[in-house]
Amino acid sequence: MTMHTKTMALSVISVMALSLILSACGNNNAGTTANSNGASSNEPANKEVKFSIGATGDPATKQAMADAVAAFTKANPNIKINDLSEGGSMAYLDWLKTKEAVGEFPDLIEMRDTQLFAEAGKIAELPQEWLDLVADAPTLNDKHYTAPIVGAFPHGIIYSKKAYEDAGVSAEPKTYDEFLAIQEKLKTSGITPLTFGGKDIFHWGFWINKFFMDDMLADDPNWNAKRTKGEVSFTDAGPMQAMTDFTELFTKGYVEQGWASTADNQTASMLVTGKAAQLFSGPWMFAQISQADPSFEFGWYPVPDRKGRIIVNGTNNLQGWAISTAANEDADKQAAITEFVKFFFSKEQYTKFVQAVNGIPTTKETITYEASPQMNRVLEVMNDPNTIKSMQINAFWGEAQMPTQWRNWFYKLAQEWLTKGDFSADYMKKADAEWDANVKANAAAK
Amino acid sequence: MANTETIPVTAQGTAKKRKRLSYSIWFILPAFILYTAFVIYPTLNSVNLSFTSWDGVSDEIRYIGFDNFVEMFRSERVYNALKNTLILSLSLVVLENIAALILAILVDQVRWFKSLFRSIFYFPVLLSGIVMGFVWAIIFNFNFGVISQLLDRIGLSDWKIDWLGNPNYALLAIIITTVWKGSGYYMIIYLAGLQGIPPELNEAAAIDGANRWQRFRHITFPLLASAMTVSVMLSMIGALKIFDQIAVMTDGGPGFATETLTYIVYKVGFGELRQGYGTALSLMLFVLILIVSLIQIKLLRKREVQM
Repeated sequence: MTMHTKTMALSVISVMALSLILSACGNNNAGTTANSNGASSNEPANKEVKFSIGATGDPATKQAMADAVAAFTKANPNIKINDLSEGGSMAYLDWLKTKEAVGEFPDLIEMRDTQLFAEAGKIAELPQEWLDLVADAPTLNDKHYTAPIVGAFPHGIIYSKKAYEDAGVSAEPKTYDEFLAIQEKLKTSGITPLTFGGKDIFHWGFWINKFFMDDMLADDPNWNAKRTKGEVSFTDAGPMQAMTDFTELFTKGYVEQGWASTADNQTASMLVTGKAAQLFSGPWMFAQISQADPSFEFGWYPVPDRKGRIIVNGTNNLQGWAISTAANEDADKQAAITEFVKFFFSKEQYTKFVQAVNGIPTTKETITYEASPQMNRVLEVMNDPNTIKSMQINAFWGEAQMPTQWRNWFYKLAQEWLTKGDFSADYMKKADAEWDANVKANAAAK
Repeated sequence: MANTETIPVTAQGTAKKRKRLSYSIWFILPAFILYTAFVIYPTLNSVNLSFTSWDGVSDEIRYIGFDNFVEMFRSERVYNALKNTLILSLSLVVLENIAALILAILVDQVRWFKSLFRSIFYFPVLLSGIVMGFVWAIIFNFNFGVISQLLDRIGLSDWKIDWLGNPNYALLAIIITTVWKGSGYYMIIYLAGLQGIPPELNEAAAIDGANRWQRFRHITFPLLASAMTVSVMLSMIGALKIFDQIAVMTDGGPGFATETLTYIVYKVGFGELRQGYGTALSLMLFVLILIVSLIQIKLLRKREVQM
């Protein structure tokens, strides 16, 4: 054999060996999947199993989730959890979509855009064991895809008691006009009435949805479906009133000047440092505010609409824990994830979680925890039979589903008219056009 | 011995050439396979995807002909992104190169601590775009930023600007940040060019009575032309592809005020679930970079001087 032939042979053998090693890796993986297909084992295996989690939320929620993961892995050393949870300023859908694109779609996901991922076949129907844990898990096309992590959060005004006292405000508003009168009083007293975390796109949903619920969605839960059919328009009286009211908060000088560069996680600082008197947000902020300044005294109330009705985000929706299709097909992973979900919703662990995030429990098992005065007010509102519970425009599903991509686009449109100061029906015509284009694009993709 | 050895043009010589060629192929093959798999194939596949309505999630992909391209050329948002891209690119090319040239001349002429100054000016280049974006976002923050706090302290609160929240300033804030980060890199290119200019040319001009400006205008600047060709082209390509700073500092906002073509490709493809449309936009960006680069090379090469 010549030197040349030897070298050639060696090269070919090396390449083949490398290919075989790579194939072996692939086969091993494929073998696991093939063997496990459909064979849902309920026995907690002692062999090492790994799965990934993707979730989001404010710092308190992220910490509570990280604590749950740490407690579980400590109790189950054979199960390794790769916590991929979103940590940047990227919108959660963008982050999840990017993860999917790079092949890192989490095995266990805090799912928000459920219909999108369910219809794309990326998440699986939930195992019955999960459904046995929660009180109310809404369905999509008669299938359960999510187990709600906490009940829908109502948004409301978190206010500085000192600022209210200084401005001579002594009672909660009974109507929206009374609420506006409070803003005037605060402004006159020399404090910026409202802080607004406009740097984070999700924060826009708080106020915008408050007005959409007041003027459209509470009275007509099918509004989205009608919009898709072209029966209603954003230029109609309801949506126009909603966005006029929203815009006036800014044009009348109630919202802080630097709203566009204030991040959601800076709003607590704005409040406790006295740079602003109020924040419109949810109960998950209570922990952040208390951590920022334990001596800061604050209260919470829902903002009434013009008719004096209390309308809050409070209907359970399709958001919650979901399992990826790939993980569901792997019996070991599915069993390990189910163990985690059982642990997460167990009385001891879940009590810690809902207390940390000021959440409304969703389990069948009754959970009680010592709530702060502000949280007690939230629970009082949620248990009041006069409170009207609605949903954010992006939370509807089925025929009433909003085109997923429309939400953040619309929030950016709102930024545009606020920075230009020229809100008009033309912007709402653009909202209609974008909705229609998104519906068309989504239909074309199916 | 090996240097003096000659290879006769015979059948044996041809065999040796073939042997060398076969070795070369084996060395090139791994890189070629990887490059094809991770660069060539995805690039070619993007042409294919640009004719689809794929949302990036579904397994099924539908072909929709030229619809994405038609929509692209009719979209106000795309024209706005194109306008922002051109403003950003031209500003960055001019400002980065001026700053880099000034820094290079200063560093070249300084007598002491030359290496220290070179390192200091080059340091921002080493920072990740994301980290730098976060740092500058904090500096520019209206409520808690260094600039605002400084103005508050000296009683000039009315001068405070919401740099990243005002559409009139947001693009400027990105330009400032990028010039700060990028100039050091181009400074090195100019510095190499400056150090390649024979000192006797300047000495002779000085003896002939040329002042500093005349020496720069008629000797240094023309002889830096090749460095400028490279620097301008690299800064233009970098500016056309700018992403990190926008993602971290403004997210394309407020509204759509700082959306560029690169950013819109990402937002549309990933955020708005229109991978097909996003890919069509990325092809337009590719064509734009190609055209701009060819024009630049053509124009700048004309004024290069051979020594």
